[in-house]
Amino acid sequence: MSTIENTDATEAKPEGLQEFTLRLRRYDPESGQAPYFEEFQIELEPHRSVLDGILQAKAKEDGSIGVRCSCRAAICGSCGTRINDKPGLACHTHLDEALKRSKDGKITIEPLGNMPVIKDLIVDMDAVHWKKQARVTPWLLPKEPLPEREHIVPRESMVDVTQSMACIQCGACVSDCLSMEIDPLFVGPAALAKAYRFVGDPRDSRHAERLSNLAEDPHGIYACTHCFKCIEACPKGVAPMSQIMRLRRIASQDHHINDRNNGERHEMAIVNSVKKYGTLNEAKMVPDSYGGPLAPAAAKELVASLPVITKALLRRKVTPKTALFHHKNPDQAQIKRIYQEVQGREQRLELNLYITQPDEDPAELAAHEAHVAEAAAHDAAEQAERAATNQTEAGA
Amino acid sequence: MPAHDVLIIGAGLAGQRAALAAADAGATVAIMSKVHPVRSHSVAAAGGINAAINPADDWRSHAFDTVKGSDYLGDQDAIEVMTSEAPGEIMYLEHIGVTFHRNETGHLDLRAFGGASMKRTAYVADITGQAILHVLYEQLMKYSDRVDRYEEWFNTSLLRGDNGRCEGVVARNIRTGEMQTFTAKTTILATGGVGQAFKPTTNGLICTGDGMSLAYRSGARLMDMEMIQYHPTTMTANGFLITEGARGEGAHLRNANGERFMVESAPNKMELASRDVVSRAEQKEINEGRGTGPLKDSVLLDVTVVPKNRVLEALREIVNLGRDFAGIDITKEPIPVRPGQHYTMGGVKTDVDGETDIPGLYAAGEVACVSVHGGNRLGANSLLDTLIFGRRSGEHAAKVAASMAMPKVSDAQLRDDAKQIAAIIDRPRTGRRVSEIKEELGESMNKYCAVFRDEEGMTKGAEVVNRLQEEAKTAYIDDKGTVFNQDVLGALELGFMLDCSEAIVKAALERKESRGAHSRTDFTERNDEDWLFHLTVERDGDGAAKLGQAPVTITQWQPMERTY
Amino acid sequence: MKVAYWPGCVSRGFTPELHGSMAKVAPLLDIELVELNRANCCGAGVIAEHSQELADTLNARTFALAQKEIEQGADLMMNICSTCQGAQGECQERLDASAEYRAEVNKHLTPEGLEYAKGLVNKNFLWVLVEELGLDELAKRVKRPLTDLKVGPFYGCYIVRPTDRLGIDDENPRDTYLEQVIETLGGTVVDYSGAQKCCGFPISLMQKETSMRMAGQNLGEAKDQGADCLVTPCPLCHLNLDMQQPVVSKTIGRDLQMPVLHLPQMVGLALGMDPKELGLGKHVVKPTSVIDWTTSVVGSVGALSAA
Repeated sequence: MSTIENTDATEAKPEGLQEFTLRLRRYDPESGQAPYFEEFQIELEPHRSVLDGILQAKAKEDGSIGVRCSCRAAICGSCGTRINDKPGLACHTHLDEALKRSKDGKITIEPLGNMPVIKDLIVDMDAVHWKKQARVTPWLLPKEPLPEREHIVPRESMVDVTQSMACIQCGACVSDCLSMEIDPLFVGPAALAKAYRFVGDPRDSRHAERLSNLAEDPHGIYACTHCFKCIEACPKGVAPMSQIMRLRRIASQDHHINDRNNGERHEMAIVNSVKKYGTLNEAKMVPDSYGGPLAPAAAKELVASLPVITKALLRRKVTPKTALFHHKNPDQAQIKRIYQEVQGREQRLELNLYITQPDEDPAELAAHEAHVAEAAAHDAAEQAERAATNQTEAGA
Repeated sequence: MPAHDVLIIGAGLAGQRAALAAADAGATVAIMSKVHPVRSHSVAAAGGINAAINPADDWRSHAFDTVKGSDYLGDQDAIEVMTSEAPGEIMYLEHIGVTFHRNETGHLDLRAFGGASMKRTAYVADITGQAILHVLYEQLMKYSDRVDRYEEWFNTSLLRGDNGRCEGVVARNIRTGEMQTFTAKTTILATGGVGQAFKPTTNGLICTGDGMSLAYRSGARLMDMEMIQYHPTTMTANGFLITEGARGEGAHLRNANGERFMVESAPNKMELASRDVVSRAEQKEINEGRGTGPLKDSVLLDVTVVPKNRVLEALREIVNLGRDFAGIDITKEPIPVRPGQHYTMGGVKTDVDGETDIPGLYAAGEVACVSVHGGNRLGANSLLDTLIFGRRSGEHAAKVAASMAMPKVSDAQLRDDAKQIAAIIDRPRTGRRVSEIKEELGESMNKYCAVFRDEEGMTKGAEVVNRLQEEAKTAYIDDKGTVFNQDVLGALELGFMLDCSEAIVKAALERKESRGAHSRTDFTERNDEDWLFHLTVERDGDGAAKLGQAPVTITQWQPMERTY
Repeated sequence: MKVAYWPGCVSRGFTPELHGSMAKVAPLLDIELVELNRANCCGAGVIAEHSQELADTLNARTFALAQKEIEQGADLMMNICSTCQGAQGECQERLDASAEYRAEVNKHLTPEGLEYAKGLVNKNFLWVLVEELGLDELAKRVKRPLTDLKVGPFYGCYIVRPTDRLGIDDENPRDTYLEQVIETLGGTVVDYSGAQKCCGFPISLMQKETSMRMAGQNLGEAKDQGADCLVTPCPLCHLNLDMQQPVVSKTIGRDLQMPVLHLPQMVGLALGMDPKELGLGKHVVKPTSVIDWTTSVVGSVGALSAA
């Protein structure tokens, strides 16, 4: 027999190649020139990734294209870039998808935002991303003494932190964070998701300290503007903003941290307004969030807001009557009862759709279960048959 | 000039574990990596990590499974060390924060894995490598005052003193292009494998055999280099890995006729036989025309027989991979897979403390060959290998360093390396592109040194490697800059891969039997009488690869016929 | 078309001109508004932050009330606030995902005979305009095209992200509807970077300066790109962009004078209504005094009447 050919698709001519234009943002720090865009024509199957496209351009046309990458499978987190203005992993974005999202038939690829660019698509993660990670004391502080074997913790608790553990530190969320764009000191989505990884971990012994530290920091959990950018950006479903909201919930509800940023008071002002009126009473938001109408901070803020208030009154946007006598929902008793029932629970009822998948269509579910059962039964029968054959053989 | 007791090259699991262990032992430590540590390829390890932590289990059972998996080429003393220390290592990981999944009683949950006689694989969904790597990096951040991190530094040479010891390294700061000599009493290589010499491979683009080549160039022996693992389930669409955890959770393999073909070669363990066995069975189906897909080059991995809620909880990443990279909902339809290059069992020869042939130089993880994997590594033993021998290397190196003075080294090597880099940058565009040579190397290795091998093919492979080695000497690059010149690093990496490839092909041609992952169609049987030893490769005076032998250590398990 | 209409809290509080203009515009679009006056605040994401179950239950209550109206002949539920859309949508996603969870939440509603059944259709006025009424229908009703009026769209975060939850896809490119509506009404879309950014409102009481700067950046970008005004489907954005604009201007040290229209106001203008009737006079930055109506809207009226 001649040479063994291990059959391999790479030997076959791939079908369905398509040409794509990549518009890369180039920057060479040694050139003394400003960043510019350069176009590359590449040819690949449409389902291949934008990273494959960049690598083809790099291999065939210009080896000096700077891009960090390694795994090509969305796990190492190296190739965070902005593709047509949206942050994500270049390896996790199909060429055809990217083309569809492009404005002019060319796929635009730029370095991540909110971080300094070193060269081409390579940004300085240390200067921003990793510095912020270090900010949240990113290691477990377990209770002492350590158990002899593993910590015994509820099964669900480890599944719960899987969501924040799924973070691959690619920086896509940091790139698009709108709070950080305005306030560069904001701790940011990735680092706060990391913080939840410890606050949500029952083995950590410093939940209260971690939370109060992040609640009191003017650039901490209450500096998140709730814009969903990080949720949209994350290629791994970490939903950093959701983790930040959980940090706030645990800070205010479990640890009663009455922070100097009005975070907890603002939360309670809204919660209590709805409890009392069924709707938001905006007139009470400022005083309540600043510590009640008599608190010095509230008075100061009200004075500062006077020009705005005056203008609103002048324009008849707000009348003294609507401001002072807020309308009450006719079913307020019902709403109060809901509050009592929910707040009376010993354990919070929560549904995390990262962990609990949506219900399946009952018919499909039944079919799936039947399929699994059938396969299992079939296996068992086969195994029994094999055992019987073995025995017969052994007997013989 | 930076000087440390222990200098670690590579910051995957082995490197980071070594750094923590050495720091705990009181040494001054530096860890250097050509990528940020969390980008290291350990991050891609999916399924889990083996340890006999179930009270009903015994490390000896784990050890035996490993010996059998290695096709009796593994060194049993080393395997005993690894498996007996495994439970303690898992507890260490749990204590520093790894979020291992729990069972209903809150204890560590264990899943089934290939070649294992019972469930002994601890896991974090199917991102176990990522979870452990990131938690170790958390610890490195915690150890910031005790461990210096050189992230995005590229190691160009090892330094050998007049006394023969390894006394540090030369490295290039990738961000600035600056070259720097690092003095170290001890140096630990933890640079991973050389999967990029194959195309396709499950390995990341950074897995270019740097440490193997550097050690080899400095005079250390490589061992078991012919043993290349082809993972049974890589996606046909793009070569990405689908964790063995899928089969651990109950997924089936079927051929084009819908048959569970594993019944032929592993009637008892079926899909959970050793990887070499499963990969061969798949390749046989494909070669004999029972493959699926337009090119009949695949078999089907059927995850639909695993309860969906379990798939979504424990195999989330491969659900994503199927959806995002192949357009397949694996909970609803089978996914085409085939064997793909995954792991180098061989590497720099070490003892159980990570010591190589060169005094002061250690190796741990995939770069090393202790040898605990012999002819075939069991799934979920690689993470264990990195951690156990990473730790042991770190501890041993720290201990050695404690009783010696800091070596004095010169910048002579630095000047040579800088000159070499400048020369590559200055090469005229008369030869081939570096990227072209790399492409041809990968395709050739995958053709001639794959699941099945024979004399004729491997001879061709050897010829190709030799020719590419020549061509690489004049291969040119485009980037003339210093900041993040990845192009010039690519040229250096090509040299590393060619060294390793030469060793792989030579050793594979030499071993005239079939054992573990080395399966020859011209020598189809295992032959303990003539071949129960390790093949080593070292560089002779002319720079050519020279073969040698090393004995296999057998403690309690005599070679037997291997059935699953 | 008959809709179970949830105006939200702010449209009846600090931006009464929104609710007012919606009520006036609806008949011109043949939309009958059945106001859900017993429904409650969506929680604006903050109640969900406080307690997921509380937010989900409160919104399930609103949904159940809407479904009663739908039983009585309403076609769907409609809101006029991006934040309501997003906050209610988040709760609905959970309620719809799990029968078990839904049953648990519904327990709180049983005493009053309310129950939320999976699958409510709840759309912002913007979506109703494009998907229910249709842009062709809308175009037919334009009496006074917004010719020469350069409008910057401002969506509000809650109505553009996350895209999968909000059903934004190739079939329903809901993140382009504002532009489509502006063009249908004869206006000119101003392309500027702030259209889908955050107005800063959610942190206006926690990090006031950051909040004001966010608003300022968006308003400034729009001004730089030549916008006459912004239009938004979100009253909370309106609070930060319009009511707070004097503070914003002061914070960033730039005179902005950028009027911000509520979506129904812009529709009303094109449908021929009087600016004052639409409550434009109630804004802090009065569009009537800032926009040169002779060259834009009013000019076109002249053109129309001349023809």
